[in-house]
Amino acid sequence: MEAVNTYLLSVTLASLLVNFAISLYAMFFKPHYVKKVIALTILGDTVNTFAIYIGYRRWVEQRPPRVPVLTDLRPEAIEEFKNLAVDPLPQALVLTAIVIGLAVILFLVFLGWILYSHYRTLDMREIKRLKG
Amino acid sequence: MLPGETGVYLVMAIISLLSVVAVYMAVKTRDLVKAVIYSALQSGLYSILYFLLLAPDIGLVYIPVAVGLIPGVLLVLISKTERWEKE
Amino acid sequence: MRLVEVIVLISTVLAVALLITVGFEHLVPSERVRPVAEFYLNATYNQYELRNYTAMSPEAVTAIVWDFRGLDTLFETSVFYLALIAGLALTRGLLLERAEKSGHGLSIIVRTVTRITAPMIVAVGASIGLHGHLTPGGGFQGGSVIAVLPMVVIVVFSASFLVIKGVTTTKLLVVRSLGLTGIGLTAIAVFLVGITLHMPAYVFQNMAKPDAQISMPYSVAGALISGTLWFFNIFEMFAVAAGFSIAFIALMLARTLESSRGE
Repeated sequence: MEAVNTYLLSVTLASLLVNFAISLYAMFFKPHYVKKVIALTILGDTVNTFAIYIGYRRWVEQRPPRVPVLTDLRPEAIEEFKNLAVDPLPQALVLTAIVIGLAVILFLVFLGWILYSHYRTLDMREIKRLKG
Repeated sequence: MLPGETGVYLVMAIISLLSVVAVYMAVKTRDLVKAVIYSALQSGLYSILYFLLLAPDIGLVYIPVAVGLIPGVLLVLISKTERWEKE
Repeated sequence: MRLVEVIVLISTVLAVALLITVGFEHLVPSERVRPVAEFYLNATYNQYELRNYTAMSPEAVTAIVWDFRGLDTLFETSVFYLALIAGLALTRGLLLERAEKSGHGLSIIVRTVTRITAPMIVAVGASIGLHGHLTPGGGFQGGSVIAVLPMVVIVVFSASFLVIKGVTTTKLLVVRSLGLTGIGLTAIAVFLVGITLHMPAYVFQNMAKPDAQISMPYSVAGALISGTLWFFNIFEMFAVAAGFSIAFIALMLARTLESSRGE
């Protein structure tokens, strides 16, 4: 039973790795600008999911793990909270990473519009040929 | 039936496999509007995954940003430029 | 042809998973968390043992984002502000915001339903943002939900509807700057109090520390507000909602140089 649980958890990790590989391929080999931006969003989100996946915690003695939010404010509930809750630190760092990724994508979209108004196309091979 | 732990991990595995299919379809299609829709579908599946990995803060950020705002901005850009990717 | 591709993808994923299970078992999560995480989980609402390190907020993630690692969040907000200013600077001469006659929009059913659900969107976003120190949520989550509203209004009514109603990028930029000023003032509030009372105090301080004994009030009339966390959440909510709206309005209304010169 332990091996089945480990296998199912590693299916999630393997699918995140395959997503990473596919989006990296698309960012290099697809010639259109908007497709490169879409691949960049998928890449950023997959890396954030890696970080949250590392912070997960398995079931401890048949009790499920908990969200890192205290609901019982008595002092004796803190010990059990510490033994059952999931890691809160990767979630805080991923929150910052999502905002910064979003800022970069917004700026890239503005830049794409300026590119189109100069070169009349968004195909990067055409732009490389026309540059200058 | 299944014990609870294996059930949760099985649902996580199925959603991850569906997201791999969605990412592949987003990369392969040549119509850019369909690529944006497939990318929004992949973001929806990722937000369910965040909820199952017990991170509701991240899920609450991810749903308006990656299913609503980013496809909205990309669709405005596509409507002002071109729609089909050439070979 | 399509079914073969899907089968190849899924079998690749399953094979890599088998490889990880057999060889790299330390990459899969285990039953214990790191000692750093145990410290943060212990210190987030603990006024009995760790009185000098606690943040007095039952939500561990908000306490880490705004109290334990508050400087990271301050600089992340400024990075977002810089990206927004760069985007606006690119479309500077091309942003036409004359109040023309408003366009058609969609049918009357869609417009009536949008008029009913628009206050609901704002209410949900404000509820998520203001309760950020008690439940999962916070300033950035609430701000993003509220920022969906201008996008829906621009699509359902028309692109010049917002301009006719008086919502321009200049006014939204003022709202965003006020939000950022509020965040900056809250960050140095305890420091200024310490200077006037001649007691030692830190910048970005929330609760009393061993050598700086001033602290923000953590509960007002029986309700928990966790010191600076509530103020940070509300200012960040205003700043984020205004920032996204500016980006969307600027992208929607920008026109190219040739067509704008001809008008």
